[in-house]
Amino acid sequence: MSGAAALAAAPAGRAAAPARARRLTPWGLAAPLGLAYAAFFVAPLLMLVAVSFYADERMTRWGLDQWRRFLLDGFHWKVVADTLLLGLKSVVATTLLGFPFALLYRGASPRWQRVLLFVAVMPLLTSVVVRTFAWIVILGREGVVNQLVLGLGLAAEPLRLLQTELGLVISLTQIEMPLLLLPLLSVMARIDPRLLDASASLGASPWRTLFRVILPLAAPGLAAGCLLVFASSTTAFISQSVIGGGRLVYLPAMIWQQAMVVANWPFAATAAIALLVSVSAVIAVIAYAGRVAAGHAHG
Amino acid sequence: MSLAFPRRALLAGAAALAAPLVMPRPLRAQKGGSLVATTYPGIWDDSFREIVAPAALKTKGVEVEFQALFAVDQIAKFAASRGAPPFDAFVLDPGPRITAIERGMFEPFDGKKLTTLPKLPPQLVDQWGAGCAAQVVGIAYNPKKVPKPGGWDDLLKEPWVSRLGLTGFGTTFGTVSLIELAKVFGGSETNVEPALAELKKVLPKIAAVGTPAAMPGLFQQGQCDVMYTNTQTVMALKDRGVDIEFATPRTGAVAFFTTLHIAKGSENVEAAYKYIDTVLSAPVQEALTRPPANLVPVNKDVPLSPNLPMKSLDEMSGFVTHDWAKINPLRGGWIERFNREMAK
Repeated sequence: MSGAAALAAAPAGRAAAPARARRLTPWGLAAPLGLAYAAFFVAPLLMLVAVSFYADERMTRWGLDQWRRFLLDGFHWKVVADTLLLGLKSVVATTLLGFPFALLYRGASPRWQRVLLFVAVMPLLTSVVVRTFAWIVILGREGVVNQLVLGLGLAAEPLRLLQTELGLVISLTQIEMPLLLLPLLSVMARIDPRLLDASASLGASPWRTLFRVILPLAAPGLAAGCLLVFASSTTAFISQSVIGGGRLVYLPAMIWQQAMVVANWPFAATAAIALLVSVSAVIAVIAYAGRVAAGHAHG
Repeated sequence: MSLAFPRRALLAGAAALAAPLVMPRPLRAQKGGSLVATTYPGIWDDSFREIVAPAALKTKGVEVEFQALFAVDQIAKFAASRGAPPFDAFVLDPGPRITAIERGMFEPFDGKKLTTLPKLPPQLVDQWGAGCAAQVVGIAYNPKKVPKPGGWDDLLKEPWVSRLGLTGFGTTFGTVSLIELAKVFGGSETNVEPALAELKKVLPKIAAVGTPAAMPGLFQQGQCDVMYTNTQTVMALKDRGVDIEFATPRTGAVAFFTTLHIAKGSENVEAAYKYIDTVLSAPVQEALTRPPANLVPVNKDVPLSPNLPMKSLDEMSGFVTHDWAKINPLRGGWIERFNREMAK
């Protein structure tokens, strides 16, 4: 707001104005987004916090009942732990598959880099709902994988892949992969190839170069990618409910159930804050690990 | 070089782009008025837009705009709007209907304002609204994979149990099916524990535990070959060439009604009556009975589809019904119990 005022006042005080305008313009330019965030994100978030402190589902009196109900029940802690673990498993799986791809990308010619980048981004061109339903067709009892396994005689009975955590992690790995690759590829492309030559000429093995040179330099991009994959897969409501099914209970589905089916907004708000806090805590750890690893490269 | 974009042109352009987003689209003035009504997403949405909207305009001069929302979403949206109703008419299943009555979300309803009143079974019209379609719930099975199941308890026996697709208390059809399963094992409308206990025993064998919306897809993909559902879903899948049949359980199929209501604070009450009257009129009901809508009609002049487990609406009085005023307060607890018992 002050930025906007400064912009409006600029023509009046001609001498001092340019310097002041220069100082305030970035704030002024950020103001529309900032105000939009304040109105449509921060304010609803505060309302969410307030709603969680209603004692009853009709929201008539204040109290800590919903928080007690959430925190004093082992089942809810298990759901929180399962949700975070699902995110970590997706992060590990996407990293194991995505990092070699990024190494390939780093060494490729500019023309091949464009092709690989397109391959990495391609899944984003279809909606997450379509990708999720495609995985039902692939992992189902009569799906592609099972037809192959039965056809090759590798198993007598169809494998159970759908509605298992393994199936969910497999599908999330594909669904979230672009989120890991985009930041990772951009830092990989910026690694100076002379550093690798230097490492080799000083006698380091390729593995040593990977762990002591490439990995620390790629750490900020890898951390950013892991962070996005973690946040996205812990909150992947559609994939979790469609691929995971009713026996795998995660926080997003629980929040939806409480808010929409049971119409218990205070409890849904409590669970939503629990999701926000627990996911943010893990994200903070991942970001810190990324900074420490990057510090090794420069320190 | 700076962009030579006249500031005024830019602002005018941005304003022109933003205007349709910010300003509500005014409905064209019709002599019978206009209103916004809800419909369920999917088949209901398609058929209400194609059949009901043109009929309301032609016969009553009422323009209807539809918002596709599940029953629970309608309740949530109305609750969030606090006094400025986001739509004029609801379409609801029994559970959310009771919630809405308890929370004062309906205008009082006067059935005498409906020209179709004499054609409706009397229990379908009350002080809160009018029934517009019946739903019949039973067991769906794939006749090429499993024999026809005889009752709810068969679901927990071989060969059905290892091909069973299960959903919880999240939907009306899921809730009533689990209640019926509980009754076979000594439970009741207010006690579903026996069903949960029996399910727990066979849980490792069950083919799929899915969200309600995922069930038709899981059935189509062969992930499960038996599930509980309504006749409408069975017919919709049959139309798509899926091998599926409806079986009426020994203890009877379950029936309930989908109802229309006028939203509290609506400014288009008269138009809403005309809209409801249109939905209940014989030509519209007959059109909604045909595929792909496959609704079970409530107007006595409309013949029932030969695929339904009853010949007339009167026969439905012998079907199993439930008291949702008793079920609603317990349902939240049941949903949580189901989560806990089924969780791996």
